[in-house]
Amino acid sequence: MRYEYTVETEDLAKYYQMGEITVKALDGVDVRVRRGEYMSVMGPSGSGKTTLFNMIGGLDRPTRGRVYIDEVDIAKLDAYELAWLRCRKIGYIFQTFNLIPVLTAQENVMLPMIFAGVPREERIRRSVDILSRVGLGDRLNHKPAELSGGQQQRVAIARALANDPVIILADEPTGNLDLNTGLHIINLLRELNREKGVTIVTATHDLKMIDISDRILWLRDGKIDRIEKRVDVAVRMEE
Amino acid sequence: MGQTVPLEVRFPVSEAIKFSIESIRKRFTRALITAASVVLGIAFYSALNTMSAILLVATQGAQTVEAYQRWMAVISLIVCAVGILNSMLMSVTERTKEIGTMKCLGAMNSHILIIFLWESALLGLLGGLIGSVAGWAAGIGISYFQYPQYVMAPELLVRYAQTIGESLAIAMILSVGATLYPAYHAASLEPAVALRFEI
Repeated sequence: MRYEYTVETEDLAKYYQMGEITVKALDGVDVRVRRGEYMSVMGPSGSGKTTLFNMIGGLDRPTRGRVYIDEVDIAKLDAYELAWLRCRKIGYIFQTFNLIPVLTAQENVMLPMIFAGVPREERIRRSVDILSRVGLGDRLNHKPAELSGGQQQRVAIARALANDPVIILADEPTGNLDLNTGLHIINLLRELNREKGVTIVTATHDLKMIDISDRILWLRDGKIDRIEKRVDVAVRMEE
Repeated sequence: MGQTVPLEVRFPVSEAIKFSIESIRKRFTRALITAASVVLGIAFYSALNTMSAILLVATQGAQTVEAYQRWMAVISLIVCAVGILNSMLMSVTERTKEIGTMKCLGAMNSHILIIFLWESALLGLLGGLIGSVAGWAAGIGISYFQYPQYVMAPELLVRYAQTIGESLAIAMILSVGATLYPAYHAASLEPAVALRFEI
């Protein structure tokens, strides 16, 4: 089934109780991300980008509101279904790469496939395919400690794509990378977005992301400041 | 993608064991130290049981090891268990981010639990094997000075096998038992919290 909106949030809010003060990490966010869209979520530190990432990714429960992935309310999923969602529908990319240190690049990419029940031959074939696609065909047996930051992030991207997810969620993917490497990663993400039609939602500080995004969501203090299309940003910059 | 893939998340036993072995290999020194504590505790227990069995046969039931010696063996096993508990708690803390990541890949709480329990089972097996045999050998060695002719008595051979088997079983039960709490804690980590964790 093809759904028009891969991600939909409805009045999403997350409040934290810190003693007497209530911290409103998210305070009513309504957003709809189209299938195949590349959306960047931007905003100052503390604006709620990572919280939104956690909500959409089913990593944490909201205080109020709903999140729909492919029109399924993820709050209604039980533990099995949630694990399945994280395994098969969503691919995660983190600022700190988060590769399993005891496994090689190939084994890292194969791990989500193990959870998905993919047979061994198929796992090996697909992992080689994806790692070659991201440019690491010759580093299959390297452990994360033997790879540079950019290479580790590419393994992470390959891992995120392992089970052909409908959406990739990236939290500051270029945060720990230098300018050039960051650019490569951004371009790689854009290419994959185009090639595979996978929806990408990135929480980021990196203004280089603006060039390749379809839409940019600006967050401020847990609320949406504005949503712009790339062309609108270009126009605004010129003014 | 034309082929159908089952609509469930699976973590086959073979993969769980492989992952546990890899984790042990990577943190080998830590594993060695934990296994060493098992070896010592179990060796003591095994040695005591061996000497007790020999003593029983040699004195025809008149003497056996003292009660206080048995207590020492039990206490050394408790100390060993506490050591494993501590080591496993540290291991879980170090790997908090890794656990969060695995949950993002689809791991369920039970899968995380299984990984840690397999690790402790393997360590218990390794430590128990070495400990029970080493303890048995030490027991024989010590008893040899007093009762050299009884050490290889035929009726004792069955008893020896029993002692070693029993010590091995205790090693594994101790190891897995001491890991239950740390493994449970690891399994119930919330992904959002675990991923943010800095040691």
